Amino acid sequence: MVEPRSLTNPALATRLTRREFFRTAAVAGAALMAPAVIPASALGRGGAVPPSERIVMGGIGLRGRGMGDLQWLLPEGDVQFVAICDAQKSAREKVKQVVDARYGNTDCTVYPEIREFLATRTDIDAVLSATGDRWHATAAVMAMRAGKDIYSEKPSAMTIAEGQAVVETARRFGRVYQTGTQRLSEGNFVFAIEIARMGRLGKVHTAYAHIAPWDAAEMRYDWLPAQPEPPRDVVDWDAWLGPCPWRPFNQSYISGGWRGFYDFHTSCIGEWGAHTFAQCMAGIDQLDTAAVEYHYVNNPTGDGMVTVFPNGVKMILSRGDKYWRGSCGMRFDGPEGWVSVADGYSKPEVSSPALMSDFKKIVGDYMARTERPMSHMRDLLNCVRTRRPTVANPVVMHKSMSTVHAANICMWLKRDMKYDPVKEEFINDPEANRLRSRAMREPWII
Amino acid sequence: MSRSKKVLVVLAVMLIIGAAASVGQAAEPSAKEQEAKLIAVLKSDAPQKEKSDACRELARVATKDAVPVLAALLADEKLSHMARYGLETIPDPAVDEALRDALGKLKGRPLVGVIGSLGVRRDAKAIDALAKLLQDSNPDVVQTTARSLGRIGTSAAAKALGDVLANVSVPNQLAVCEGLLRCAETLAAKGGKDEALAIYDRLRGLQGPHQVRTGGLRGAVLLREKDGLPILMQALRGDDFVLFEAAARTSLEMPGADVTQALAAELGKLPAGKQVLVIQTLGNRGDAGALAALSAAAKSGEKTIRVAAIHAVSQIASAAAAPVFVDLLGDADREVAQAAKDGLAALPGREVDTALAAMLSQPDASVRIRAIEMLGQRRNTSALPAFLKAAEDAEEGVRLAGIKALSDVAGGDEMPAMLALLMKAKSPQDLEAIEGAVAAICIRLARPAAGKVTIQKAIYGGLPDGPSADVTQKVAEMVKAGTLSVEASNGNFGDPADGIPKKLRVEYTVDGTAQARTVSEGETVTLTATVTPPACVDALCEALALAPTPPKIALLRVLRSVGGSKALNAVRAAAKDPSAEIKDTALRALCEWPTVEALPDLAELSRTSTDAKVKTLALRGYIRLIPLQDAAAEKKVAAIKDAMALAERNDEKKLALAALGAIPTADALALVVPHLASPDLKEEASMAAVAIAEKIAQSSPAQVAEAMQQVSKATANKRVADRAKALLKQTQGKK
Repeated sequence: MVEPRSLTNPALATRLTRREFFRTAAVAGAALMAPAVIPASALGRGGAVPPSERIVMGGIGLRGRGMGDLQWLLPEGDVQFVAICDAQKSAREKVKQVVDARYGNTDCTVYPEIREFLATRTDIDAVLSATGDRWHATAAVMAMRAGKDIYSEKPSAMTIAEGQAVVETARRFGRVYQTGTQRLSEGNFVFAIEIARMGRLGKVHTAYAHIAPWDAAEMRYDWLPAQPEPPRDVVDWDAWLGPCPWRPFNQSYISGGWRGFYDFHTSCIGEWGAHTFAQCMAGIDQLDTAAVEYHYVNNPTGDGMVTVFPNGVKMILSRGDKYWRGSCGMRFDGPEGWVSVADGYSKPEVSSPALMSDFKKIVGDYMARTERPMSHMRDLLNCVRTRRPTVANPVVMHKSMSTVHAANICMWLKRDMKYDPVKEEFINDPEANRLRSRAMREPWII
Repeated sequence: MSRSKKVLVVLAVMLIIGAAASVGQAAEPSAKEQEAKLIAVLKSDAPQKEKSDACRELARVATKDAVPVLAALLADEKLSHMARYGLETIPDPAVDEALRDALGKLKGRPLVGVIGSLGVRRDAKAIDALAKLLQDSNPDVVQTTARSLGRIGTSAAAKALGDVLANVSVPNQLAVCEGLLRCAETLAAKGGKDEALAIYDRLRGLQGPHQVRTGGLRGAVLLREKDGLPILMQALRGDDFVLFEAAARTSLEMPGADVTQALAAELGKLPAGKQVLVIQTLGNRGDAGALAALSAAAKSGEKTIRVAAIHAVSQIASAAAAPVFVDLLGDADREVAQAAKDGLAALPGREVDTALAAMLSQPDASVRIRAIEMLGQRRNTSALPAFLKAAEDAEEGVRLAGIKALSDVAGGDEMPAMLALLMKAKSPQDLEAIEGAVAAICIRLARPAAGKVTIQKAIYGGLPDGPSADVTQKVAEMVKAGTLSVEASNGNFGDPADGIPKKLRVEYTVDGTAQARTVSEGETVTLTATVTPPACVDALCEALALAPTPPKIALLRVLRSVGGSKALNAVRAAAKDPSAEIKDTALRALCEWPTVEALPDLAELSRTSTDAKVKTLALRGYIRLIPLQDAAAEKKVAAIKDAMALAERNDEKKLALAALGAIPTADALALVVPHLASPDLKEEASMAAVAIAEKIAQSSPAQVAEAMQQVSKATANKRVADRAKALLKQTQGKK
């Protein structure tokens, strides 16, 4: 067990300093010099129990990506992970195995049912949620409603209405929320965003956002053949479906085969656009709004769709590797140059080597100015302590995902669209507006 | 209609629906026609899947005409949800009536769903019926009802929720509170401020869930605007950590100097545990009005608080903070000093530079060094004269700091002064530092040469002797598509050497000038030729002519890194200098020359030099440059053949064999084969032979087969042997 440490423990009085960044150019970060967190276990008792320095966490739906997040989280010295909730027995048992091995005990508790998990574990401060896309917003709202802070994998919502619910719930209950768009906390991406914002490329006129090279914008509506439903303890199929329309069980869904289905996925545009739209919007200073124009492209994927933001800057969806090599790429073009980056780059690509000359200074200055570490998980943990919004806070993610949803609706209805990001509605297009929400299956109504 | 006719109709409809299963497909019927067909599906005995699809489609196109048929499905446990799916988006009050009507007829999950949909539709007419359901025994019913009433958000909804709050069961308490918070939000937005405040005030004082008190405090403070500040401060001072934390967060949503001042004034009165959070909150607010309080916190006291204050000042990013940081640069606590240094480096504004410049005149050398380091980190060009002056300071530490800053900041205008410094360097350490700075400036001044990039050869794999793949075509395609930066990655080229660290070697020309770059996996090679400005090269050459021996030696090394014809000529001339020291340095520079322009010199040196060391270095350089030539393969093979004849040591012969391995011709293979019999060279020869053979197996199968038989016998490397066997299999029997 990790013992609570004193409030002024110097071990916590560290962070990834500019110097450390210069030395390592790494993404890791130590705990922010931060106040202690009020233990959730004390929160129901009038708040009179003194703060602790340990953030108690639990997990919801941690499998492939979620296990990666967990491996990212567990080494954080001020975190104690205590419980996992999953509708699949094998998945929750696997997480328990990993966590118990990490701590050398058998303390990680498993829960098959999310409502029981959230209601009974009042000792948990924050949750890590990496369910399938269909559950992201619902789980986030339920967790925040239960008083937890949350790291929720992307995409943050299946619809514009779900995104609104996440924003409202975080505000309503004063919760800290981070979406797993981790590139907003990676040096290469931050550098590209910063030089675009700083005017090093001149006034940026075009951003390019990578969309996934698999699946399509067109969705599947079929049901896979019915198979015998496993015992509820093994797979709780009703809980797995959550707020989505019912369909018969098929093993493929729970093995990752849910992608591409309208009920479960946000298409090839949302698959990576959930990351890259936010990245692009950060570089063109449009994180607090959404694209206002969507120009339909007559292909199955949305490749080449031009969107336009309120400041006149275009963001073009690009599926291939024309502008980058690697996943989740982005590029900014201005009259004085361009910068491009994707996963796996040792350094961003630029139109002129001179643009790279101050790489470390630009990223270091960003860190000093914003107090953001180059570690997305660390940013959440720091914000759990300071109570300020994270870098990928609900508004950032709602606005970028609204752009994703609008781009999808543009492709589905096969026509150009205009969107009012203040009223959050399509202009003169009632049919499109009816696709902003979907009735949620009971009892998972948020 | 008979059952069979019904089925036919449904099948026909299903075909249409199926053809347009996704929304918005081409050649669709009108919305009205679609709706009629979808309604027909729902009225039929179509399977659940088709009815479910029809409901989803109706969500997009339905009018009140579809309401009765959808409403009829609300009691159907299998289709109740999808019925609501279709109903929720229909812009007609008939939906609300149907949902209200269903309330009294349903139980269990269908009831919960209908309650939720009434909330989504904000149906105020449902309040009375919903209020009764707050007493239901089913927690799902009560909780969904509470949230739906919250969504409706009228005074009546709030009253219904408020009436049950005092006696609500613990499991349902949170939902009722959420309903009230939702009501307060709606009431506040619609002019019902007093009602909203009453809710917030009640909830912030509730001995209930912490997040409810947090939400209550937030609403109570924000809705009161400036009048909410006393409530905020009360929470900040109180013993309730929940409200303290909520106050800190809420203050981030309250702009205004008065809020900043109130927080700042409170800072010194709070216990240490609270100070850190308030300090960070002040930093996050970014208001310069907090600088005085934060500066005071940064100067003395507990380290944790001091460091937090320094970071907060950094976030405010006001130049007015410069003096505070400057004072802290020399703090006895290293962590504090480093935080101040980091903060100062990132602080924008001329005032910061002015404060640092003032430090340059301090008598304490350590202060001057810090100022120079900081100004260098800030890339401050206006401090260049100060850097040049520092480079001649009496204190060595100051001199080296000044030279380092020049290395980072100086440009072409400072080159004469840099060369003058080089000429009068005060110590070997100074000379070495200035040489490095001059070279760094030259590299920084170099610009990509405009020109046509032609890929000649690209290899990716476990270079130099592991398995690899010829990726020439792939790289050429990338260049053709407009990319000049190529990353050495499996993502680009696949993985030809599983488990082995790989490299990418690209040979190319820029406007006919040969270039070659090798980078490790994960790194990026930029396919440009960088050229140092002629004025800079001229200045170096002029200085070279006038320099005494130590700086002349340094300049020769700089010229080697600069490259180009003029620099090469200057080095050639120095290679004939009567001074043995200068001559030796110049010859070594020639041997390491990066471009093929030095090939004739190296060919000559490798034949005629009487200095064994120079001869060896020249031969190695010669072999290195031969493949880079823009020349026919025959010419390259002939040159390597000459070089091999000159090689007296196996090391150079191995280099020559490796060079041959990159030339895919039968002549090259013929030159390699005899070395397969050499015990010392057989492995290098085997690798070269296999590499060539894999490229020419189609064109010269007989020669390849014969060579591979010898390789199979010669090599002890299993990977190479396997490749040879594969080639044997491929070529045997072919002529």
